[in-house]
Amino acid sequence: MATLVSSAGGLLAMLNETHPLLKLHALSNLNNLVDNFWPEISTSVPVIESLYEDEEFDQHQRQLAALLVSKVFYYLGELNDSLSYALGAGSLFDVSEDSDYVHTLLAKAIDEYASLKSKAAESNTEGTNVDPRLEAIVERMLNKCITDGKYQQAMGIAIECRRLDKLEEAITKSDNVQGTLSYCINISHSFVSLREYRHEVLRLLVKVYQKLPSPDYLSICQCLMFLDEPEGVASILEKLLRSENKDDTLLAFQIAFDLIENEHQAFLLNVRDRLSNPKPEPAAAQPSSNESAQSESSPAPEDAQMSEGSSAPNLNVQQADPKELVYAERYTKIKGILSGETSIHLTLQFLYSHNKSDLLILKTIKQSVEMRNSVCHSATIYANAIMHAGTTVDTFLRENLDWLSRATNWAKFSATAGLGVIHRGHLQQGRSLMAPYLPQGASGGGGSPYSEGGALYALGLIHANHGEGIKQFLRDSLRSTNVEVIQHGACLGLGLATLGTADEEIYDDIKSVLYTDSAVAGEAAGISMGLLMVGTASEKASEMLAYAHETQHEKIIRGLALGIALTVYGREEEADTLIEQMTRDQDPIIRYGGMYALALAYRGTANNKAIRQLLHFAVSDVSDDVRRTAVLALGFVLYLEPEQTPRIVSLLSESYNPHVRYGAALAVGISCAGTGLSEAISLLEPLTSDVVDFVRQGALIAMAMVMVQISEASDSRVGAFRRQLEKIILDKHEDTMSKMGAILASGILDAGGRNVTIRLLSKTKHDKITAVVGLAVFSQFWYWYPLIYFISLSFSPTAFIGLNNDLKVPKFDFLSHAKPSLFEYPKPTTVPAATSAVKLPTAVLSTSAKAKARAKKEAEQKNIAEKSSAAESSSTGSNPAKGKASAEKDGDSMQVDNPPEKKAEPEPSFEILTNPARVVPAQEKFIKFLEESRYVPVKLAPSGFVLLKDLYPSEPEVLSLTDTPSSTASPASGSATGQQGSGSAMAVDEEPQPPQPFEYTS
Amino acid sequence: MDPKLTEVSQHFERFKAALVRHDYDSCNNLLSQLKVLLTGFRSLPPLFEDTPNAVHELTVARDIYEHAVLLSVKVEDQDAFERDFFQLKPYYTDARNRLPPSAQEHPILGLNLLRLLVQNRIAEFHTELELLSTSALENPCIKHAVELEQSFMEGAYNRVLSARQTVPHETFGYFMDLLAKTVRDEIAGCSEKAYDYLSISDARQMLLFSSDQELLDYVKEEHPEWEITNDVVYFQKAKESAPCKEIPSLQLINQTLSYARELERIV
Repeated sequence: MATLVSSAGGLLAMLNETHPLLKLHALSNLNNLVDNFWPEISTSVPVIESLYEDEEFDQHQRQLAALLVSKVFYYLGELNDSLSYALGAGSLFDVSEDSDYVHTLLAKAIDEYASLKSKAAESNTEGTNVDPRLEAIVERMLNKCITDGKYQQAMGIAIECRRLDKLEEAITKSDNVQGTLSYCINISHSFVSLREYRHEVLRLLVKVYQKLPSPDYLSICQCLMFLDEPEGVASILEKLLRSENKDDTLLAFQIAFDLIENEHQAFLLNVRDRLSNPKPEPAAAQPSSNESAQSESSPAPEDAQMSEGSSAPNLNVQQADPKELVYAERYTKIKGILSGETSIHLTLQFLYSHNKSDLLILKTIKQSVEMRNSVCHSATIYANAIMHAGTTVDTFLRENLDWLSRATNWAKFSATAGLGVIHRGHLQQGRSLMAPYLPQGASGGGGSPYSEGGALYALGLIHANHGEGIKQFLRDSLRSTNVEVIQHGACLGLGLATLGTADEEIYDDIKSVLYTDSAVAGEAAGISMGLLMVGTASEKASEMLAYAHETQHEKIIRGLALGIALTVYGREEEADTLIEQMTRDQDPIIRYGGMYALALAYRGTANNKAIRQLLHFAVSDVSDDVRRTAVLALGFVLYLEPEQTPRIVSLLSESYNPHVRYGAALAVGISCAGTGLSEAISLLEPLTSDVVDFVRQGALIAMAMVMVQISEASDSRVGAFRRQLEKIILDKHEDTMSKMGAILASGILDAGGRNVTIRLLSKTKHDKITAVVGLAVFSQFWYWYPLIYFISLSFSPTAFIGLNNDLKVPKFDFLSHAKPSLFEYPKPTTVPAATSAVKLPTAVLSTSAKAKARAKKEAEQKNIAEKSSAAESSSTGSNPAKGKASAEKDGDSMQVDNPPEKKAEPEPSFEILTNPARVVPAQEKFIKFLEESRYVPVKLAPSGFVLLKDLYPSEPEVLSLTDTPSSTASPASGSATGQQGSGSAMAVDEEPQPPQPFEYTS
Repeated sequence: MDPKLTEVSQHFERFKAALVRHDYDSCNNLLSQLKVLLTGFRSLPPLFEDTPNAVHELTVARDIYEHAVLLSVKVEDQDAFERDFFQLKPYYTDARNRLPPSAQEHPILGLNLLRLLVQNRIAEFHTELELLSTSALENPCIKHAVELEQSFMEGAYNRVLSARQTVPHETFGYFMDLLAKTVRDEIAGCSEKAYDYLSISDARQMLLFSSDQELLDYVKEEHPEWEITNDVVYFQKAKESAPCKEIPSLQLINQTLSYARELERIV
């Protein structure tokens, strides 16, 4: 049994002995005892310190003293002192020791080092003031991590400390270089907040990637895209395309599709232009030889849209070097992909064929909305457009021409523009579709300027971010008119079509419109300039700001303010000067623009500085508009980490100021869009029954944005929300504002034929510039309803589309390893059997008990087919009690007491999906590919465009999503073929038919 | 026998011999060598490892430190006393159940108490006292110190001084001399507070000096702030303590108002 000392007093006394050996003995013993006796030792710290400082001692002893003091300070909570002495302890401070002391101090040391390094980097002085001893400790830690195989930690520390050399070492030494690299990309996006530095890290990663024996081109290209280096991407693509191996070609296509998803138009065009043209003579042979098989399916790369680029090869037909020939063929395809046409085309087809929008909902809305109420009337038109965004289905409009004709003036403008949303992405026929409404040159003059302006806006929406083909036409239209409504439409359209291209000439055209100082046209011009210059941080911003100060029209100022904000999109610190200038302005509208500038410059960065600034404005600005926008802007800053937003704005959502509450609702809506996040829904729920009408409106819209594509099975509140919307719409006494919100919300909830979600981030965590800009302008609908259509820019289809070598869609099955009900489409509403929907609303509240009883009886009597739709039918009748009854039944279907019911069977735990299939975001993690399948995906992505490798290339392929008869056999496109049947008589084109133009009767 | 231990014993013998000769310089030298040698034993505090010779080693070490303490008294070195005593202490406390009690223990503990009394470290004095057992308190050496302290506290300074004659142990003499000085300081401190001035003769009596000259020397050395004019000692009354800090009312009001304003904005 060892006796324990009860006091360190003896040893402390020994420190005062004269003999150095005794001091050493005391020190080393104290060092062992310090964990228990630090309170006693702490009184003698000065003595030990003097030992450490005593030059006469040998190094070891002084270091021991330093270590001892460091430990005592650690226990006293004086970490700074502790660290400085630990540094003095040199090698005695053992980084591998497993104690709280070492852990704490290491963390402290690394923090210190990282902050010193980043400070040094910010002030651009080389890290001269960094203590070499500190550096030594951090390096020892890094080396230890690397040797221990803890590469992730090492990388984290290295990135934090700006030690790119160590980062590289960690990556190259790790056993799974690919995995480590992708981890590193992830953390550099989520944790490196400085743009400059992030670029440095990415550059390093690209370097490492390229050194690997088998480079992962997908990731390299993503990195290069972040770095904005089109040359690199182009050369990689070209290398892959020229390769003998077919798989490389697939890979190139896959890369192109992945890049497309990030919607960086300027970058993509750059890449495309840098790909070397195939030699003209050999290339020409290809299109002609393959014409019959190819040109239909490869979606119109040789279309008029890119006339200069690819029409030349068509001219000369000659024999050619086979290699060049193959390259030429692939080149055309990749050009088509990079210009975005292929993906847009496929998306359009998918949305059209899978359209599941529910016309009955619209019908209910239409019937319940008062005729004279123009706000709700146009809201219904908006809702229709959003519901059918990109599906090209305009049945509703067609069936209700009479009703539609009630839209006059600006309502007509937006009704026409709505067509653009419905036909979004219909690049080829967009113009002919809109032709009846477009201005007919100088001679025409027949159409109303409102529908003409709307049509131009619609063209912009159709061609948003892919406007190469249409921009000239829009420009001409803009120049040839001086009607401000048409100018308004043309400006918006032009801005949309040329998003982010920074075309000087177009800018000048728009500027001349701005300088006419007409309020209506000027507002659109301001926004349009911003759209054109998105993310360029161009000098033009100051010009715009100057004019904003000059003009008297609030509308123009507002348009310009937003435009200026758009120019600094994603520029982070670079934008600080401009933001500062705007947020300090006298004019609240400019400050309001400043909030947007903050939001967009720091979009998705969760930058603390930006958040702090926004919160400050949210509570301190004198203008309600600015406060509202400041809160709303938080949504943009935080969309990378949606979980944070509800927490940050939860206090604001209880503010006394309705504007702030409204902003909080939209902030949650924006950042949590499409996530169905539970906290977000809980935060919004109380706001949907706020006392102020516009807060209810905002909350309803935000809720719809959050709940897009969330099925009732995964969150029961979705069902409740649908019923709530219906109730609001049917309620005669509801305020117009919230009614409008409810109508729009039902549109957003079922957006794009229930096949799209709102996504601000691509799968690689890159921000989707179009989507963010779209939502930013959308949030302006507070002032100008037609801007609601901008939300369509943020829709992205939730589809898995597999493509083969020819960029066609082969038949391909894969597995969704989850209960089908979790992700299925909402059940279509049906007309209630007993009473008509129009009469019901008056009786809603009084009959709940009776209805409940009836519902039970009914539920038992219904046959199998009707049973499945019972829940929805009751909700159509807006009878909450009944709905609940049947919902309960659905919920625990196991307990239903009718044995013959189909429902009683347990639900299968998986379902087989057929390419192309709807895969909602929440479903992605359940997607599995079948092993015995004929096709193997190049990249294991659960959604989006995926290139498939054909394992049996000799066998004939079965294609879906085409007009060829073979597709009718495919079960997935069953609904599509039905609708296509009628159209196929008209043309052989695989595009959905352009609808017949309809005329306003007014 | 362990060679190291033998070496220690030999050194120790020489040390004791030197002590008897009153050759304190060589004593100090030997002592410091001994201490270094002792660090080599793992059975000693703070490790207390169970080596075969543990008991013997501990006994020798204790003996050495006891001698060291006594030596320090002889050479009248209070710092050394304190140092050695603290090193000795673990042998009394932590090693109590391994060693036969030492005859020197109580005198040394008493000495330490006395030292604390002399240095006017009353708090530590009582801490030490609390650590002692009741039987130890009965020991004359310790009892003496305790009684001294009581008289000291009561202000019965004459009793303290007369206790010089009744020391229980010859080593106590040194500290008793020192104690007289402590007592005088104490009295001086009290007089300063109690009187504005005193005549020289009163002061001499009060401070227990036998001659005026001694008093003057004492004042010169210890209390230069006292003034002596016309056979009267004027005590500079302690400076009126600075008036207590003003309450920063204006600042507080401002702060509270701004909080209220902020609150109004937030809610």
